[in-house]
Amino acid sequence: MMESELWIQTAGAFFAILGFSFILDVPRPFLLYTGLSGAVGWLAYLLTQRGGHEVIMAAFMSSLAVSLFSHAIARRLKAPVTVFLVSGILPAVPGASIYRSVSCLIQGARTLSSFYLMETLQVAGAMALAIFIVDSLFRLAQKPGPEGIRKEETDSSVHG
Amino acid sequence: MGGSGGCVSGRKRDVWLKRKSEKGCMSERSRYFEGSLKYISVKDKEEEMDYQGLMDMAALAGEIMLNSGAEVYRVEDTVSRILGKSGMERIDVFALATGLFATISDPGVGAFTVIKRVDRHATNLNRIYSVNNVSRKFCQGEMTVSQAQAELLQIAAEREYGFLYKCVGYVMTTGFFAILFGGSFLDCLSAGVVGLVLALVAGAAGRLRFNDFCQNAAGSFALAMAALLLKDVFQAMNLDAVIISAIMPMVPGVTFTSAIRDTLNGDYSSGVAKMAEAVVVALAVAFGVGAAMMAFRTMGGNV
Repeated sequence: MMESELWIQTAGAFFAILGFSFILDVPRPFLLYTGLSGAVGWLAYLLTQRGGHEVIMAAFMSSLAVSLFSHAIARRLKAPVTVFLVSGILPAVPGASIYRSVSCLIQGARTLSSFYLMETLQVAGAMALAIFIVDSLFRLAQKPGPEGIRKEETDSSVHG
Repeated sequence: MGGSGGCVSGRKRDVWLKRKSEKGCMSERSRYFEGSLKYISVKDKEEEMDYQGLMDMAALAGEIMLNSGAEVYRVEDTVSRILGKSGMERIDVFALATGLFATISDPGVGAFTVIKRVDRHATNLNRIYSVNNVSRKFCQGEMTVSQAQAELLQIAAEREYGFLYKCVGYVMTTGFFAILFGGSFLDCLSAGVVGLVLALVAGAAGRLRFNDFCQNAAGSFALAMAALLLKDVFQAMNLDAVIISAIMPMVPGVTFTSAIRDTLNGDYSSGVAKMAEAVVVALAVAFGVGAAMMAFRTMGGNV
């Protein structure tokens, strides 16, 4: 992939997620950050693919980048992590393959359908795993001990 | 009870008041005069009166979060934090993708339970964010139960973006997603147009109170029809890329991913429920697109 196309696609992801933020009702002050989250995710996706990896690996790295970004920005802005996470993972999410799977099933192409279903499961699994890993890491970092839990729990970004 | 007043008469009055209050005939006035001395026991009484209010408020918070698409563990966490302010011995909160159960109980007071049936709606991050803010303020003691309740009702009623913003959102999402799927400039433009059609149909279907399946099927039927008509005019258009970018706002990728997240978290029932939801939505979208293609073929167009 050309260098220029990489940046065009990243910019495309930014604006696509900015638009999607309206659909998801993202609070106004965070619009820019959700767009950025999408751009970060897609950039990681493209760079992993450029390194010669499969779609699954690319989705994994993309979600890893988005989760790290979301956790960091959520702490800074005192907002729930979900706001940035849901919007950011969208470009890598296996929406197209879950659609293709069902569409092939309707058309009677069973083999192709199960291929796409498998791909959907693998990609969604890889993404969920990446998000889960980062969640767990941040949870570990949060609770220094039983004494601190009550205080930590009222910390804004963790809360809720 | 802390009868910390230094003088003897104060202590005597304290005992007298205690006896009277045990009989249940202490007047408001004597409470008032007693001030800080009696404050603790009066406060106990007031909180006891408010358990039901607290339960209702917590359940409302949970309901708003659930039907805005929050994860189950987040809902359970928030609700149990709010209920934690009751100081009851046992607090149990159990959330499903479509329902919420909560019980607080204490040997001295009894038990309060609330059950809510929750309908899932479109993801609304603004509501999740606002409820989170309210619950944080409440847990830090900056808000009373009734204030929090009022604020939550307001959150449930308000909308962050009007119809125009939604239309812009759909057009931007579909148009720019075409770039990510490797579309040309023409593909982006047509995907944007198709996205506008989708936004209009989705708005109309929402107003008619269609259920989820019909809403998605109607939206995807309309967008596929629009894409096929555009393909008829502009032969160079990449039909596959346009349709896939246009269904992006509806496709249940996020639901599917959060289903797996819930499963990994140990919330098996809501994980399965969300997976089923994802399949239903995907089925509706594929059904709509398939029906449009079939209708187009019957009308004599070539796909």
